[in-house]
Amino acid sequence: MNTTTQSLKAETRNLNFFYNGGNHAVKNVSMPLYENKITALIGPSGCGKSTFLRCFNRMHDLYPGNKYEGQIVMHPDNTNILEQGVDAIEVRMRISMVFQKPNPFPKSIYENVAYGLRVRGENNKRMLDDKVEEALKGAAIWNEVKDRLQDLAFNLSGGQQQRLCIARALATEPEIMLFDEPTSALDPIATANIEELMSELKNKLTILVVTHNMQQAARVSDYTAYMYLGEMMEYGDTDTIFTRPTRKETEDYITGKFG
Amino acid sequence: MSSEHIYKQYDNELEAVRAKVLEMGSLVEQQIVDALESLVSHDTKLAETVIKRDHMVNALEVQIDEDCSYIIARRQPAAGDLRIILMMIKTITDLERIGDEAAKIARFSQKTIETDRMWKPRFAEIKLMATLAREMLHMSLDAFARSDATKVLPIAQMDEQVDEQYQTTIRQLITFMLEDPRTISMSLEVLFVSKAIERIGDHAKNISEYVVYMVKGKDVRHISMEEMEEVAKQP
Amino acid sequence: MNQPQASTLKNLDEVRAMIKRHKFNDYIFSVIGLLCLMVGLITLLILFIDLIQSGYPKLISADFYTNFPSRRAANAGLLSALIGSTLVMLVTFVSAVPIGVMAAIYLEEYAKKNWLSDLIEINVSNLAAVPSIIYGLLALGLFVYMLGFGQSILTAGLTLGLLIMPVVIVSTREAIRSIPVAIREAAYAVGATKWQVVHDHVIRYSFGGILTGVIIGMARAIGETAPIITIGALTFIAFLPPSPITDTVPFINFEWLSSGFTVLPIQMFSWLSRPNEAFHVNAAAAGVIIILVTLLMNGFAIRMRYKMRQNIKW
Repeated sequence: MNTTTQSLKAETRNLNFFYNGGNHAVKNVSMPLYENKITALIGPSGCGKSTFLRCFNRMHDLYPGNKYEGQIVMHPDNTNILEQGVDAIEVRMRISMVFQKPNPFPKSIYENVAYGLRVRGENNKRMLDDKVEEALKGAAIWNEVKDRLQDLAFNLSGGQQQRLCIARALATEPEIMLFDEPTSALDPIATANIEELMSELKNKLTILVVTHNMQQAARVSDYTAYMYLGEMMEYGDTDTIFTRPTRKETEDYITGKFG
Repeated sequence: MSSEHIYKQYDNELEAVRAKVLEMGSLVEQQIVDALESLVSHDTKLAETVIKRDHMVNALEVQIDEDCSYIIARRQPAAGDLRIILMMIKTITDLERIGDEAAKIARFSQKTIETDRMWKPRFAEIKLMATLAREMLHMSLDAFARSDATKVLPIAQMDEQVDEQYQTTIRQLITFMLEDPRTISMSLEVLFVSKAIERIGDHAKNISEYVVYMVKGKDVRHISMEEMEEVAKQP
Repeated sequence: MNQPQASTLKNLDEVRAMIKRHKFNDYIFSVIGLLCLMVGLITLLILFIDLIQSGYPKLISADFYTNFPSRRAANAGLLSALIGSTLVMLVTFVSAVPIGVMAAIYLEEYAKKNWLSDLIEINVSNLAAVPSIIYGLLALGLFVYMLGFGQSILTAGLTLGLLIMPVVIVSTREAIRSIPVAIREAAYAVGATKWQVVHDHVIRYSFGGILTGVIIGMARAIGETAPIITIGALTFIAFLPPSPITDTVPFINFEWLSSGFTVLPIQMFSWLSRPNEAFHVNAAAAGVIIILVTLLMNGFAIRMRYKMRQNIKW
């Protein structure tokens, strides 16, 4: 199926992560992230997939005592984003995140999307208007909110709020978007909308998604990685993983024999 | 496939379908044995039984198809489970066709017995073919039951033998027909029966190929013998 | 429950009786609770009504609010006390709020969480329970004598500011803590720096809680008597502090800060200690004013909090 040439957008090299207090949550993971493709991380609870995801945008920096080892290298510039000298703020400008439970700011819809631009010093109203519109269109929610941009974000439904959060993450034109179980709080139709949106977004950027719903990983991703107890058990293209996985552990998890 | 699903009901469902497939397999094996026997021993009653029993074979095919579609709808099988289900669906198609061939043989047998002819057909020549075909079916069903992917190679080789036998039979029959035109009807009947047997062999070979996909995830249909040897060597 | 039919029916009756008993207990308890509540409310209500009755003639006279205190009860008024309370509150606000809020923000957002910060947190809460007269003594030593501010509005304001600072700090911290982690993470994830998160989100969303805490603190401060007495508020003031606004450049002066003053509770206390019955009327009226102001301020705080929380759904 994958006959197109693919380029590497990022990769982790021997990534280890320790929580404050010593918990070795990510063990020596080396994984590629291909450009304009969706990579899914699956695994049972506590396997470290969310922890692994949050290394990419240095979320762990917010809580003291956490330690990274190894590298996450971005291409084509070959920067290791875990290096001391690399500013976490810069990393987050290139890599944005959508969280599990929709978490819009208690501001208007417009301000939610514009915030990412404002923190960068963008204040020109015209520019902001254009970019907000573009982001809301990219998140497939423009038509539903274009007449009420000044309404509070909290008045939207759950699925709409999540798409608003996606628009907020899109507004800054990231290279990689991280999704942390983006639909686990949503109903099936909202879920389908988000999955469809992800398929469209991958044409513009690279996506890494954590999901505990295997069928979602099967539907949406090009590559799938199975993690267990902090280790990367298997990585491959989704078709292969779901029809003939190499490792018994993967097979057991996917067929519901454990986990 | 040795460990159990968290949903025990799923295990039960899969097991039930496997059992039905094996049941269909032994029924079809029996059909072949009886059909050939009726031919050789001119047993009308046996032929009748075989023809009637074909309904059971068809009924099983329908049932198993339905069961499999329910499992797909409800369980969204993946990886090994998916391969098992897909291959069982294909296997029963081949089994049903084998059943049809057996019924055909039984019908020929009836015709032969009823026709009062000077020259009764001699089916001794095709005995070797028949034995091979039966053995192939038995081995492939066994391979399915044991999830044994190694049998595909010997079965493929046996199929080559069956094909050779078939060619030999044709040549023999042509010789007969040329020598004595009165033997043409009889020869044609023998020809049809050996064609049916040759087809049975092909279907049995298909089933063994499905088993390889089920176990290893590799599709070995339509590849050459050398390539198949390569695949058989891999884990 | 594998029991034959007959005994199941019997159990049903027992169950019904038990339910009835429990419901009766519910009822008894709710009655007792209501009575307890009433005791408190009615006592306060009686007190309040009594005050109003006693102070009625003065409450309705406009002179009461515009006259200075006087040796003659009939002419005594609240003017200096009202102005004094207002000015002192102003100083209290300016001294307690910025420092308290910033201290709280630092403690919540920037300080490392270790044994020291825990110690500080415990002590700040404890400060709120220190008797107010202690603050008065502290003020006397520090502000009046050591720093030489004298017995002035400035001193009073600073003292009360110290008094309510723990309240401000604690309520600010509570307001900040109620902001869900998810919102902060979302802000950081979009590339905000720590100060941007604090300024654009933390302060903005906790503003309602902060304001509430400040107003409640101020409502308490208005009625504080002991520390003010200790630092020497005057009880008989027939003058007003100099006006802050003048007609010469720079149009604002700060002389009023060092002026003598009185506040509402002191005035009330002073009238109450006169033997002349007529002054008691004044005292009652002053009491009513104090209660009203306190209730109004608290009411305002509650309303502000409600309005600010409208936008926030967590």
